[in-house]
Amino acid sequence: MGEANAIEVRELAKDFGEIHAVQGIHFDVRAGEIFSLLGPNGAGKTTTISMLSCLLSPTSGDASVMGHSIVREPMAVKEAIGVVPQEVALYPDLSAQENLAFWGKMYGLRGAALRQRVEEVLEVIGLADRQKGRVSKFSGGMKRRLNIGIALLHRPQVIIMDEPTVGIDPQSRRNILDNVGALNREGMTVLYTTHYMEEAQELSDHIAIMDQGKVIAHGTHEELVKIVGELDRIDLSINAEPGAIVEPWRASEGVRQVSVEEGKISLLVHDSNLMLPRLFESANRAGVRITSVEIQEPNLETVFLHLTGRALRD
Amino acid sequence: MKLVDIALKDLVRSFRSAFALVMMFVAPLLLTGIIYFAFGGLGSAKEGFDLPVTRVQVVNLDRPAGSSGDFVAGRILIQFLRSPEMARLLQVAEVGSEAAARAAVERKEADVALILPEGLTAAVVAPTSPVTVTLYHDPALTIGPAILKGVVSQFVDGFAGSRIASNVVASQLGRRGVAVDAAVLEQVGRGYAARIQELGQQQGEGRLAGLDLQLPPGQKPSEERAAMMAGMMVSQIIFFAFYTGAATAETIIREQEEGTLARLSTTPTPAAVILGGKFAGIFITIIVQVIVLLLVSALLFGIHWGEPLSVALVTLGMVVAAAGFGLFVMSLVKNTRQSGAVFGGVLTVSGMMGGLFTTGVQNLPSFYTTVNLFTPHGWALRGWKAVLAGGGMGDALLPALVTLGLGIAFFTVGALLFRKRFS
Repeated sequence: MGEANAIEVRELAKDFGEIHAVQGIHFDVRAGEIFSLLGPNGAGKTTTISMLSCLLSPTSGDASVMGHSIVREPMAVKEAIGVVPQEVALYPDLSAQENLAFWGKMYGLRGAALRQRVEEVLEVIGLADRQKGRVSKFSGGMKRRLNIGIALLHRPQVIIMDEPTVGIDPQSRRNILDNVGALNREGMTVLYTTHYMEEAQELSDHIAIMDQGKVIAHGTHEELVKIVGELDRIDLSINAEPGAIVEPWRASEGVRQVSVEEGKISLLVHDSNLMLPRLFESANRAGVRITSVEIQEPNLETVFLHLTGRALRD
Repeated sequence: MKLVDIALKDLVRSFRSAFALVMMFVAPLLLTGIIYFAFGGLGSAKEGFDLPVTRVQVVNLDRPAGSSGDFVAGRILIQFLRSPEMARLLQVAEVGSEAAARAAVERKEADVALILPEGLTAAVVAPTSPVTVTLYHDPALTIGPAILKGVVSQFVDGFAGSRIASNVVASQLGRRGVAVDAAVLEQVGRGYAARIQELGQQQGEGRLAGLDLQLPPGQKPSEERAAMMAGMMVSQIIFFAFYTGAATAETIIREQEEGTLARLSTTPTPAAVILGGKFAGIFITIIVQVIVLLLVSALLFGIHWGEPLSVALVTLGMVVAAAGFGLFVMSLVKNTRQSGAVFGGVLTVSGMMGGLFTTGVQNLPSFYTTVNLFTPHGWALRGWKAVLAGGGMGDALLPALVTLGLGIAFFTVGALLFRKRFS
């Protein structure tokens, strides 16, 4: 295992009966970087980080976190990591300060060191003035911040965050993304899962795209975008069922891929300027009206569409 | 150390829940208190219980029989009903007609109408024709009419004795070949009636020896009541200790749903410590609950719980049993939506089987007392009864050991089921 890698995942697999949730994945996370696992719901992201957090035992394969095997040395792994679960996991009838103190003890902190660290974390997450308040009275954003704060208590070398921005307001989301960046600047390795392309793009040094239990691509943002080359992405909405128009478009010259999800049509094309008039013309012939058009430069969504034939949506 | 931290956290959470506090402390004390008041414990300035005074309207249609002299059975009965002893129970008024007495009952101006028939004395003196004494009462009332019926029956039975006496005399003399005519039998009846009259007067004047309820040496009436309250309080303590055991164990399911159990598993804390901490939390919560209930009930109801070491031994066994039983019951439950119904049902049935709801019932069938011993509740109750009866460590040891053993067995099965679930 390389010295510069905080996490090394080797042929990691997890089955739940007949369901192959994770199928022999392989990737490395370098120490001090932000690494995102990007993929739609059900891609296997949460199962992967549950194994890396030693919550689930792998069916086969192994992974190491800071040099410790998740299979053979789970306690050492748990000491090295801080986990931010997808759902807020706090005691609602305890105060913010009491929650932090309890979880600090679970990470082995005691006495003055614990008290000092609790105060520091309360400052970091911006809840110092609400530390005595019961968590049940907190807003969703405040709970999310406290949820992250707990994972920071023991100054972990690696922090694992499972979709920490799901279901929160834009302001809290911005706050969390800023916090992740700040933690990384302090030298913490961050393994971040998300199904929001923009988050992965903004935060990550490296990204692994997961789909149906497999890592289908990984690299830097630039490396991943290069996979689709010079392809543009056109998202269209029409005033009729897409079925009638999609097949002719799929057969058109210059169209690389067509996908339909939730009534929205996505096309990967070589040159959007050239293709758009043709698409309108063919729609007119079919008696269909195009109601909206959006052209996107190549990005991670385009990559996912290119690799899977499906859009990266919920 | 982490085990204690988990236990203390659960303790704090339990004691911050108003509902849990009510179920742990208020409900058992309140239920016992209601029974205490219902039996007049604090409602009376005197010792003992208060019963409502029954309003009786008597219609005395009875007349002296030809040969009865001044003996009138109806008058003797009324005289007794108006005696000072009966004044605490009966308020007697004579009315002129049966219709008026019945109407008074129907208008709820009286609780009972007592109609003494015209031939009552004749039936006593010359027991040839049976007569009927009528009690007409408000059907909503039970205790007052029952008391009056008991008193009247006592007298009617006494009068019936004259018939028996006459029959015995006739039979005995007949066997010896002596002819007995009506005059002799009337003489026997008159003699018996005279004796009844004398007894009635003595009873009315309070000179007749009656029932004498005595308490054990050195025990006051208030102590007798406290002993009765202790029996009730014990069943409440056992029931609610087992309730708290299940309710506190439910926090494992709740933590699973809140995600905190999974989060605990991502910290460097062994699964055995997490489960041990949860069990310790249940144990400490019940210990605190039982100690508070013992002390408060001693203060409120004057209950003397017995020799402290024996009490401690029985308490320890019961608390371990309640904690283990709670963990076991919760290990069978999938989620908190199920848990309320499951542990409510299980605790009620096991409490019934353990005899918690029949502590005041005497002479229960033997199979029922055997069934009691198949439950930890039944053994806990047996331990407490031994201690309350003044038993020492020797008497408390067996029930305490059995409850302890059952608690450990339930804990082991529950812990294995939880480990299997979370593995």
